Amino acid sequence: MPLTGLQIFKLLPNTNCRKCGYPTCLAFAMKLAAGRESLEKCPDASPEARAALGAASAPPIRGVTIGRGERAVTVGEETVFFRHEKTFVRRPGLFRILDPRGLSAAECGALLNDWLGVSIARAGETFRVDGVAIVEAPGAPEAASAAARRGFPVAVLAATPEGAASIAEPIKDQRPLIVPPAGAAPAAYFALAARLGVPLVVAGADLAGLASAAAAASSAGVGDILLEPPGADLRSLHHSLSAIRRGALDRVHPGLGHPVFLRAGRGEFEKAVLGITKFASVLAIEDHGGETWLPLWTLRQNIYTDPQKPLQMEPGVYPLGEPDSRSPLLMTTNFSLTYFIVSTEVEASGVAAHLAVVDAEGLSVLTAWSAGKLSGDRVAKSLRQTGAVDRVSHRTLIIPGYASPISGELEDAMGDGWRVIVGPQEASDIAPFFRDVWEPMRAR
Amino acid sequence: MSLELKPKKWAGAIRAVTLGSGSRKPVTVGGGNGLPLHTFEGVFPHRPAFALEITDVDPARWAEAARGPWDGVLGSPAAAARRALREFGADLVMLHLCGTHPDRGNRTPEEAAADVRAVLDAVDVPLIVKGPGAGPRQNDVLARVAEEAKGEGLALHSACQEDYKTLAAVAVAYGHILVAESPIDMNIAKQLNILLADASVDMNRTLIDPLTGGLGYGLEYTYSVMERIRLAALGGDAMLNAPMICLAGEEAWKAKEAKASSRQEPRWGDERRRGIHWELATALALIEAGAEVLVLRHPETLARLRTQLDCWFGDPAPGGDSCR
Repeated sequence: MPLTGLQIFKLLPNTNCRKCGYPTCLAFAMKLAAGRESLEKCPDASPEARAALGAASAPPIRGVTIGRGERAVTVGEETVFFRHEKTFVRRPGLFRILDPRGLSAAECGALLNDWLGVSIARAGETFRVDGVAIVEAPGAPEAASAAARRGFPVAVLAATPEGAASIAEPIKDQRPLIVPPAGAAPAAYFALAARLGVPLVVAGADLAGLASAAAAASSAGVGDILLEPPGADLRSLHHSLSAIRRGALDRVHPGLGHPVFLRAGRGEFEKAVLGITKFASVLAIEDHGGETWLPLWTLRQNIYTDPQKPLQMEPGVYPLGEPDSRSPLLMTTNFSLTYFIVSTEVEASGVAAHLAVVDAEGLSVLTAWSAGKLSGDRVAKSLRQTGAVDRVSHRTLIIPGYASPISGELEDAMGDGWRVIVGPQEASDIAPFFRDVWEPMRAR
Repeated sequence: MSLELKPKKWAGAIRAVTLGSGSRKPVTVGGGNGLPLHTFEGVFPHRPAFALEITDVDPARWAEAARGPWDGVLGSPAAAARRALREFGADLVMLHLCGTHPDRGNRTPEEAAADVRAVLDAVDVPLIVKGPGAGPRQNDVLARVAEEAKGEGLALHSACQEDYKTLAAVAVAYGHILVAESPIDMNIAKQLNILLADASVDMNRTLIDPLTGGLGYGLEYTYSVMERIRLAALGGDAMLNAPMICLAGEEAWKAKEAKASSRQEPRWGDERRRGIHWELATALALIEAGAEVLVLRHPETLARLRTQLDCWFGDPAPGGDSCR
C-alpha cells in the first residue's frame, strides 16, 4: 500500500535542512508520496525510513523478463484492476506453441522462419509472434535452440524435470521460461530454475496453494515467477484471474504478486480472450492461424491502449506513410475513432497521404456537420492555422462524403485556386477512391 | 494455509428489466449485485440474453460469412425470425428496419409496421426494433411500430440526448421498453436517463446502449465506459443502473478484418472463422464489461457464447466452482 505524504513525513528527520532542494521536510514528503522524487535526495534519512519507503514503493506485481535482446518480453508491473483507473502497462506476450513431434529439424526451422517473418502493422503497432513455447519431446532441445538463435523468447512446456533441463540449459542465457506440467511435484523444477537462473511457472489447486507454491519457489531461490491460475472452465478461471489481481494489488499475500501464465489449447479462443482482457501476462497458444491471432493481437492492442488518451485528437496535419507535396490531402474531424478508422484505411491503401484533422469538438463527420460545427469558414481557417495548405502543391482537398454539403462554401473560403473533391462516405471506400478517382485525376 | 479474499459488497444493484409482454414470452435481464460475471461473490438472478439481428430488406453490405447462415431468408423477416429461434436458439430477435432509411429503400412507416406484425406473428419471443438511425424518419417509423405492437413490450432502439421526446412518449403510451443510446459517454448516458425520467419513462423499462465500438474500432472505449457505468450503478447511481445492450454483431462485422476474404489477405487465416472470432471477441469482452443483451449476427458466435455462459451461470459441480 503506498504511504501518504504525512506517513512519509513522520519517517523524515524533520530538520528542514533544505539539502533535498525543498524548503521543508513536509514539502519533500508530499513529492515523495506523489512519486515525483526519490529518497536518495535526503542524505539524513534513517535506514528505517529507507526500508519502509522501499517496501511501500515496490510494485504490487513483480516484473519478469523472458528472452534477451530486441525481442525480450517483459511483463508484470501492473498497478490497477480496471484499465480506466490508470492503464495496463505491459502487453501480454503471445507465445505460439511448437510441438516438434513428427517434424524434422529442417521443418522446425522453416516453421520458425515463417513465424519470424510475421509482421502486421496496425494502428501504430507491429503484431509479431512474441515467443515460442516448445513442447518437451524428442527434438525439443534442437527446436528450442533454433528458436533462441532466431531471437525468440522461449517457453519450455515440460513433461519431466530432466527433459526441461535438457531443453532449457543450453539456452539458459536467453532466459527461457520453464513451465512444469499440470500436477507436477514442484521441488525438482524449483531446483532447476534456481540453478539455471531462469523464470519458472508455478501452479496450485486453489488460490492458497498457488500463493504458497510461489512463496516456496522464492525460498528455493527462484528469482522470477509466473503463476498458472487454477480453472477448468471460463468461470473458475475468471474467478482465479480476478482474485490473483485483486490479491496482488491489496497485498494480501506476497505469493500473489507475480504475473500470470495461461495456456490456450486447440480451439480455446474464448479462453485466450478472457486471458487478454483479465490480466494474463504470457499466453501459450496452440492454434497457429491468422483467424485466431489477428483478433487476439487486436484485442490486446485495444485493452492495453492508454485510456487516458482523450477521445479527441489534436487538430493538425498527420502524415500517413511518407507523403510529399504531390500526395493527396484529406480532411476529417478530430473524433479519435473517426481519425483512427480513416488513418487505418489510408495506411491499408498503400498510398502515402496527408490527413488534416480539423477541430469539430470531437464529433464524427456526420454529427459535426449536422451540429453546424463543420462550416466552410471553420474548416478553411483550421487548414490554414495548422499549415495543411502548405503541405501540398496541387491545391486539391479531399473531404469526407458526409461533408459534401459544404464543398462549395469551403472552396470559396479556401480561395487561392483551391479545389475541393468529395470523397467516399465510408472510410472503407478510400482505397477504391484513390484508385478510381485520385490516380486518374493526378495522371491528367 | 488458508487464503480468503473478502467478497466485495456494493450499495447498489442493476435493475431487472423485463423485455416482452402481451403475447410474448418475457425475458428478464439484469438484477445482479456485483461486477459483471463475478458469480463468485455477487448474486445474478438473470444471465445475459442473446438476440440475433434480422432485417426488413436484404442487407447487401453484410459480409459473406455473416450472410451464409441466413441464406434464403435475408430480407424476409418473419422467416428469418423463425430460423433465429428454431434453428439458432436465440433468446430474442432484433428487427433492424434498415430499409426505412431514405437512402436504403425508403420503406414507409406502414410497411415497417407490417414487418413488425409479421415477426410478432411468426415468433413468441420479445422483439427489439431498431429504426433507420437518428433523424426525422427514425421517430416516424418507431412511433408507428410502437402503436402497431401496443402492449407487446418491444425494446425500441433508440432514443438519444438530442431527440428523445417522441420515443419517450410512445414508449410510455404503448407499453414498450426504451433503449437510451449515448456516444460512449457516461455523463451523457446519465443525463439522458434523467431526461427520460422527467419525461415519465419508468426507469425499470429502459436499457442503456453505450454505443459499441467493435474489436479494433473503439472496443476499448466502450469496454471502459461500460466498466465505469457498472461501477457507478453498483455505487448506487439510480440513473445509471439500467442493464446495457450492445450491438456487437453489427459493429464487429463492419471491421475489414472480419470481412476481408482469405484471397485478399492470405496471412489473416480462414475467412469464416476469422469473422466469427471477431464477433466472439467483441461480444465476450463486452459481456465482461457488463453487457446484458447482446445482439449478434452469426449463429455460431451465439452458440459458442451460449456454451460458455450456460456453464458460467449453471450450478457449480460439488466441492468447487468449476461447472464440469
